[in-house]
Amino acid sequence: MGYLLITQLLKGVTDTMKKRWKGLGVAVLTLTMLLQAACGNSGGGGQSAGSNAPEGAEQTENAGSGKKVKLKFWDFHSEKEEEFFKGLVDEYNKIQDNVVIEYSTFNQTDYTTTKLPTGFASGEGPDIYMISPGDFMKFAKSGLMADLTPYFPDGAKEDFLPASLDAVTVDGKILALPYELELLGLYYNEQMLKDAGVEVPKTWDELYAAAKKLTTDKVAGLILPPDKGPYFNFIWYPFLWQQGGNVLSEDGATSTFNTPETAKALDFWGRFFKEGISPTKLQQGPWEIDHLGKKTAAMQIVGTWAINRAEEVFGDVPINVAPLPIPEGGKAATDAGGWKFAVNGKSEHVDEAAKFVMWAFAEDPERALKWCTEIKFAYSPRASVVEKGKEIYSKGMRKVFTEQIYDSAIPEPRYPSEVLDVVGDAMQYVMFDKFDGAGAAAEVDAKINEAIKAANK
Amino acid sequence: MTPKRISARTRNEWVTAYAFLLPNTLGLLTFVFIPIVYAFYVSLHDWNALSPKVFAGFANYKELLHDSLWWDSVLKTLLFSVVYVPALYVLALGSALLLNVLRGRVVGPVRTMFLMPFAITSIISAIIGMYMLDPRNGVINHLLGFAGIGPQQFLGSTSQAMLSIIGVILWINIGYNMIIFLSAIKEIPRDYYEAAEIDGATGWKAFRHITFPLLRETSTFILIVTMIGSFQAFDQIVVMTKGGPASATEVSVLYIFKQGFELLNMGYASALAFVLFLIIFSVSIFQLKLLSKRN
Amino acid sequence: MRINQRIILPSVAVLLGLAMIFPIYLLVISSLRTETNVFDFNLLPTGFAFANFADAWIGSGLPRTIVNSLIVSGTVTVVAMIFHAMSGYALARFRFPGKTVMFAWMLSTLMVPFAVIMIPLYLITKNLGLANSYAGLIIPSIFNAYGIFLFRQFYMDFPKELEEAGYMEGLSLAGTFFRLALPLSVPIVVPLTIGFFLTNWNAYMWPLIITQDENLWVVQQKLAHLVGGGYFTPWNVVLAAAVIVAIPTFVLFFVAQKYLVEGIKMSGIK
Repeated sequence: MGYLLITQLLKGVTDTMKKRWKGLGVAVLTLTMLLQAACGNSGGGGQSAGSNAPEGAEQTENAGSGKKVKLKFWDFHSEKEEEFFKGLVDEYNKIQDNVVIEYSTFNQTDYTTTKLPTGFASGEGPDIYMISPGDFMKFAKSGLMADLTPYFPDGAKEDFLPASLDAVTVDGKILALPYELELLGLYYNEQMLKDAGVEVPKTWDELYAAAKKLTTDKVAGLILPPDKGPYFNFIWYPFLWQQGGNVLSEDGATSTFNTPETAKALDFWGRFFKEGISPTKLQQGPWEIDHLGKKTAAMQIVGTWAINRAEEVFGDVPINVAPLPIPEGGKAATDAGGWKFAVNGKSEHVDEAAKFVMWAFAEDPERALKWCTEIKFAYSPRASVVEKGKEIYSKGMRKVFTEQIYDSAIPEPRYPSEVLDVVGDAMQYVMFDKFDGAGAAAEVDAKINEAIKAANK
Repeated sequence: MTPKRISARTRNEWVTAYAFLLPNTLGLLTFVFIPIVYAFYVSLHDWNALSPKVFAGFANYKELLHDSLWWDSVLKTLLFSVVYVPALYVLALGSALLLNVLRGRVVGPVRTMFLMPFAITSIISAIIGMYMLDPRNGVINHLLGFAGIGPQQFLGSTSQAMLSIIGVILWINIGYNMIIFLSAIKEIPRDYYEAAEIDGATGWKAFRHITFPLLRETSTFILIVTMIGSFQAFDQIVVMTKGGPASATEVSVLYIFKQGFELLNMGYASALAFVLFLIIFSVSIFQLKLLSKRN
Repeated sequence: MRINQRIILPSVAVLLGLAMIFPIYLLVISSLRTETNVFDFNLLPTGFAFANFADAWIGSGLPRTIVNSLIVSGTVTVVAMIFHAMSGYALARFRFPGKTVMFAWMLSTLMVPFAVIMIPLYLITKNLGLANSYAGLIIPSIFNAYGIFLFRQFYMDFPKELEEAGYMEGLSLAGTFFRLALPLSVPIVVPLTIGFFLTNWNAYMWPLIITQDENLWVVQQKLAHLVGGGYFTPWNVVLAAAVIVAIPTFVLFFVAQKYLVEGIKMSGIK
């Protein structure tokens, strides 16, 4: 076969292929049109779309006679809560002329594990951000939280619950502003309990028996978080505290994990999963009241934030709440969680940023009240706010929290994330039968000490 | 042809070759190579991403030698690969062969059906996976129920979670690899088979002696790329299990991510990432050697 | 044998094919269910709650992210295709010093887990002034060895006579590539185009790191935000959003599939 023949063949194929390319052109054209259509759509649909980004940047340059300070505010809230913070920022941008705040919000996991670390590592971090108890110490020690003590308006500090300020104080400096206290309770479906002839459980034994009785192939007896993470630990701590146990010693320097109390709390926790009473995989976040709302569960341990949704979306489902059951001879305890507002200590504009933070949650109680009652339901760490919202705080299920749960609240500990991680391991060990409670407590005890050392490096 | 002309041609060839390689070389240098050198530099430090780096020598590497969780994650990664790579290879090649022998009106629709999951992206596949594999209400458990099999925990079980994830990732990747195989099979000249038929070699024999050997290049490519990809599986795992339950699906990349971004041990995470890189590198070289030896 | 060819084989193939598309079918019918019956077990459509799509479309800012993803994925795909084909061709057809080293080096970049270079990559991109921009989303995504490797394998199988043909036609080496080899590359370009577009449509981690401005978000960020972001994420809306996000890739798939099929047919006939 001479190469001439092959050349002919190649040419033939090339020619046919050229036609094909025309066809591909049509495809590209279609795509372009699609793209344009989508462009037009979004231009008309959302007003935040279009060429807003460069415009916004220009505005700041021009409007404030070139002197406006730009502040970045990063957040993880979404939907209604995102709207609230957007609204706050818009309002603040309007009422003063010194700063322009740019608000961005991310999905919670991305926010803590990707956005904040990469942002701070590259020196492009936000000026204002939200901090969780798990990340608190690491950020504090890296100088990423400015001392907010001097910025509190007169008399404002006294308005705050002392324990809530203690939880954010390091070396006498208040490093973040608490703006919500979220308490845990045992939510349940009244009808399901009644139908099964079960009383609202008050003790661990009753909780176990009730959950077991209420479990069917359609309904989970009790929803607990199955996946590792800060929320996982957050829900479990009360079981430990109710017996007087704790993860770390008072000064946070050594582990107090290897105790009978830990073993008991772990065993209790693991039992629900091992016996199939609590699902090991959930379709929706364990923090969502939807499990009760959609009647796929009879009981659920979840926080104050669930109340608004329970009322607004699942008003026809008979959901009620009770204090967390306690063990024989134990005392009531629940977790008081909540994120905190922080100002980047390495920001060039600590002053301006701190002023915004104070304006948002330490001044006019209206804003704090709106957040804690309208947007979500939580307790405010400020006495004046709780006082102002007295009526709301005694409405329906809120009354249970106010009267029966509030007093037993312990602020969520600010353990380093290394400690959170190994405590989470212990909980998973018992759930998946790698160790019993005592074994897991012993296994993890040394690791906690190592983790403390690593965290203090 | 005079020697002079050859050398001009040769020089021309060099210039063209380097020009062709230039854009990618610059890009890979800037966006892959320099970052990895920088990552190595970071691995020699204690760094929490927030405070300045502190030089630590090889302390991070010494530490990882004793980190049993790390080696567990490596083991899980290898297990993932050992199941996933051969499964993908067999299924993709099998599908390609099936489509190749299929005749008539079913060919088009069947090919489309096999290929379609390829248009599903990883996060969507994870969403579908979670939806279908739900222990309580998921479709798969309902279907298993018809077969008399009780409900399984799937993603909530330490023994089934990894297999469930592998299943989801296989599902979206078979089609694409099938097409690569299929186009390679179609490249094989028909007269090879005609000649073989005369010698009485059809079916399995034809596959063994003609198709399979001629697919060597394609197979090498698919095996290596799949293997490397399998060491880096991340998206679906993050969405579906986040490494759980009880770390059952915490593969190396996830563990690195956890060390780096959740615990903010950037220096240590970089060291781990480097070791993972070395592991992937050695496995690929080993695989290449093995595959070329068979020739 | 006949029965095997005409009944059993096609039946098996169709059954397997149906199994492959079953999850997609399920996604679509479930996305049309209401929040309360989204988990009902029923293999047939049980309602047409198109409101889910309206919710996913309007309520979430999805349109903007779709446009962004189209821009980013489209640009990356087109540019990468040309660059990668050039490199693959050079590595397959040219002789030049340092070829093996070059190939091995490029290949080795395939083995770098993204997690390793995430932070350095961010720092470099930022220092190039590309952070928080389309360029930052696009440029670093163009370069990877996957396409180069595949193109190289593809061009290695070309007959030796290719260069001769180019020479006879009076084409330069580059001309031979652009005029002869590239047009013949449709069988590899089509699957790679889909592959690249999908990979970039799929991109999640990198856009997440490199963008601050919500106007630059891509679809997967939005989707992940819907799944894991808020406290309340009704599954029917999540599924509807997933369907919307899948539509462009399916359009591309169905448009390109014809070429894919024809490319295969053509090379099969010869």
